[in-house]
Amino acid sequence: MKELTKGFVVVASRNPNFYIYACNLMDSIRDYYPDANITFFTEERFVDHRAEELADDVVFCGGHYREKLTGMSQTPYDITMYVDADMECEHEDIIKVWDEMKDYDMVFHELTEDRGKFYAIRQFDWENGIEKYSLCGGVCLYRSCNPLVQEFMEDWDKLYRRQRDGSWRPEGFTNTKQYDEDLKHFDQTTLWWLTNKEPKYKDLKIGFFEDDIRWNYFSQYDYSGCDKGEKPPILRHYSGCLEKDKYIV
Amino acid sequence: MSRTWLDNAFWETPRKVTLNAISATVEGNKTTRKVWKLDKLKDDGTENEIFKEVVEFLGVEKIDNSSKKRLEKKQAEAEIDKHKKLEKERAKKLEQLFAYKLETFEIDQIKESKNRGLKSKLRRAKSIPEVNLYAILIIQDSMKNEGIN
Repeated sequence: MKELTKGFVVVASRNPNFYIYACNLMDSIRDYYPDANITFFTEERFVDHRAEELADDVVFCGGHYREKLTGMSQTPYDITMYVDADMECEHEDIIKVWDEMKDYDMVFHELTEDRGKFYAIRQFDWENGIEKYSLCGGVCLYRSCNPLVQEFMEDWDKLYRRQRDGSWRPEGFTNTKQYDEDLKHFDQTTLWWLTNKEPKYKDLKIGFFEDDIRWNYFSQYDYSGCDKGEKPPILRHYSGCLEKDKYIV
Repeated sequence: MSRTWLDNAFWETPRKVTLNAISATVEGNKTTRKVWKLDKLKDDGTENEIFKEVVEFLGVEKIDNSSKKRLEKKQAEAEIDKHKKLEKERAKKLEQLFAYKLETFEIDQIKESKNRGLKSKLRRAKSIPEVNLYAILIIQDSMKNEGIN
């Protein structure tokens, strides 16, 4: 039986700072996992010698704000670990990431109530009730060799773009103001829709990383309150603290 | 109309000359609660009758116990607050350190350096002086490789 290929997907688009974050991320993964396979999706205009040194493959992508979804859908691996560019690897357990796949199709970091205060939005109005995002897309381990997972990733990308430009609007979002201001621009909304309301994907096995906080440790988790578990972070996420639009140098 | 005192009264001072207590007064079906801050002596130096009433109603031992419990609770809360504050400060520092490292990695000689070992040490540095130290070592290494003394 052919051995499954396993690798990381990292994406940097639109803002040159993301290229710098992504290089640092790839470098940090290699600090602990020198033989990791990494495919890097980025814009041609950003590329310098680091991309080729750090990634096994460099794929040029567009300049969309959420080009990550395209990168995720175009992974060359059978099992893929997507990691947001503004993260850094800081633990050798990164090498064990593939064990987390277990028999799931997709594995995420959980957006729990106590972590929710650090996210832009967690709960929202839907039809006559309140719904919650529970999956955080900062990291995602997925069985990309499963055709249904592959289709899911393509739909996530395609529908998100249509959601953002207004040519598709998921049903049930009766609070128009909230939808337009907080949800329409957000790829989490599309993810929620696909995993909760799209019958085609109801049989996908979706799970969470074991000690899931370690795999997407938001730097703000140390601000207060969250249960941080006992083991140290593997991937730290600097999402809320970086001045992404300001030039680093 | 009758007045009783809740058993969570506590001494405001270690010398037990000021008491904080809550009274409950029942009038028909209605109970009114009132918070009292009572000094043992009145301004003219005479005994405060209400202070005396509370001490007689609850007993010194009960007030001592609730004062002790309250103090322990307050100390525990203060300890948690202190810990949270320290954690937040540490997190903010870590975020600033991360931004500083990214800026350091953009220095041309460091960006171009092939010395993975030193670059990795810089990435794992725990403070700004440590970052600076490894940055100097990387630049020295790159100058050495270029044959510059």
